[in-house]
Amino acid sequence: MNQYTIKPAHRNILFGAMALGVLSMALTWLGDDAHHTRFWTNFLHNSVFFTMVSAMALFFIAACVTAYAGWHTVFKRIWEAYSMFLFVGLGLLFIVALGVFMHWHHLYHWADEASVETDAVLKGKSSFLNKNWYMFGTIIFVGLWAFFALKLRSLSLSEDNTGDANYAQHKSMRVYAAILLPVFGFSSAAMIWQWVMSVDAHWYSTLFAWYSTASAFVTMIAITILTLIYLKSNGYYENVTQHHIHDLGKFLFAISVFWTYLWFSQFMLIWYANIGEETIYFKERYNNYPILFFANLGVNFLVPFLILMRNDTKRKFGSVSFVAIIVLLGHWVDYFLMIKPGALITASHAGGVEGHAEESHGAEAGHHAAEHVSTFVDGFTIPGLLELGTFLGFFGLFAFVSLTVLSKAALTPKNDPYLEESIHHHVV
Amino acid sequence: MAQHNHTEVVYGLYNDEEDLLHAVKEAQNGHLDIYDVFTPFPVHGLDPILGLEESRLHQAGFIYGALGTMTAFLGMTWIFTKDWPNIFGGKPYWSVPAFIPITFELTVLFAAIGMTVTFYIINGLGPGVVSKHLDDRITDDKFCLAFDAAVVDKQKAESFLKSTGAAEIHSKTL
Repeated sequence: MNQYTIKPAHRNILFGAMALGVLSMALTWLGDDAHHTRFWTNFLHNSVFFTMVSAMALFFIAACVTAYAGWHTVFKRIWEAYSMFLFVGLGLLFIVALGVFMHWHHLYHWADEASVETDAVLKGKSSFLNKNWYMFGTIIFVGLWAFFALKLRSLSLSEDNTGDANYAQHKSMRVYAAILLPVFGFSSAAMIWQWVMSVDAHWYSTLFAWYSTASAFVTMIAITILTLIYLKSNGYYENVTQHHIHDLGKFLFAISVFWTYLWFSQFMLIWYANIGEETIYFKERYNNYPILFFANLGVNFLVPFLILMRNDTKRKFGSVSFVAIIVLLGHWVDYFLMIKPGALITASHAGGVEGHAEESHGAEAGHHAAEHVSTFVDGFTIPGLLELGTFLGFFGLFAFVSLTVLSKAALTPKNDPYLEESIHHHVV
Repeated sequence: MAQHNHTEVVYGLYNDEEDLLHAVKEAQNGHLDIYDVFTPFPVHGLDPILGLEESRLHQAGFIYGALGTMTAFLGMTWIFTKDWPNIFGGKPYWSVPAFIPITFELTVLFAAIGMTVTFYIINGLGPGVVSKHLDDRITDDKFCLAFDAAVVDKQKAESFLKSTGAAEIHSKTL
């Protein structure tokens, strides 16, 4: 079977997940503080997470085309389908960007003009951390990625119909892929700074974009493995063998170790230099999120490292999908830890709607702020049920969009110059 | 692996790895015991046909690596907390993050050296060892299939090599 159709039962499960997500977000909204901080952090967290996953799928297609790689060609439609989620991600992050403009939320300290006026650090960064740049970057850069995703996919689809031995489409893909790679390299870093790193507006790390992008890359590989195993168990993709899964398992292993390397490099230099404005980021997480802080490292490093070290565990669907699920949740928690602590601090500083006026009242205001925070702190220091529900909702949306796109075209491309190589792909 | 002394070996040199793969399959089908196969590079699909088991070298590598991890981590722990405690940059004596890079390096070093030495020993290689190879060209562009003359009749082996397209047939006492 080379044409995928979503089974009605499976579609209903995905709709159920999305409904659960909407319900969780509604409940979050109702039980939230004045700024709806818990709602907006969850929204930002999941939007960025799945947008970055689809962006990494686009990046990986471009990287494979540029590197003349052929092992993935039989199932490259999966990554093309993921990359189409960028259009949804553009819409989701546009809502966040609009929220910055309209002051719907208080996620970013730099978005508060009154604070920026009196804060030298924020003032110094205001040429980059401002609402116009945020809006511009979100629309133009994600729009650019989405354009490239559309272009690469439509070239791949037209190759199915009219491709011949001249490989005109593939040559054209090489040009687009080669242009995309440097563009994506710089723009993805800029967007990660805007969306995620600027939640801790005073803090910065030059490694941050690498680290969070590696996190998204691991997630993308994990979701690819799960999708392939799901499709294979439903009788599709008989030409995807354990050799392809083995290579994906190697990527899951390798990029997990790479992520750990970046996590540690960022941590150790800050720990060693011990400069207050840098260590505050880790001190906050170490003191107030100790379980997640260490679990993040343990789960995302030790589990893939120890389980996938052997040859056969990368090939057996059971072990590799077990690690893929763990790592998917683990990196979701990783993004949780990037966003929530900083947003909580920003929200508690802002207090109520007239935050700064109240703060000047001293102890009384402090008590007031603490009271405000306490209504949603459970959803911050550990992911609560509402966070999980929101995650399932976004996951359902991501799965529904990508599976729908997948069902629009043949699962295995035709006329790709690397198709034969991919079908006979063989690793020991 | 040439472990026995004074073994008479009959061997054919093939020009192409496809011919070699075909000949190895034929020999397996005809129940001819292969003494060894030599190729200038790893030939894809040769191991399963020869029925070679997966190498256990990487298991040894894991043990060497774990040994390196323990040596570095426990060594530094002992040095910096018991033997010669010093304060560096206001950090505690037992500063685990600072140990990690060195622990990593020693893990790699132990695994690399251990596996190299193990590989040399099990293959009978080493400095000053004269290797008992059949032909210089099997490290360049020839693919060699060898039979032990004591196991497979010499005439039979030669006719087999000829029939499977060996470019040259020789015999040599190792």
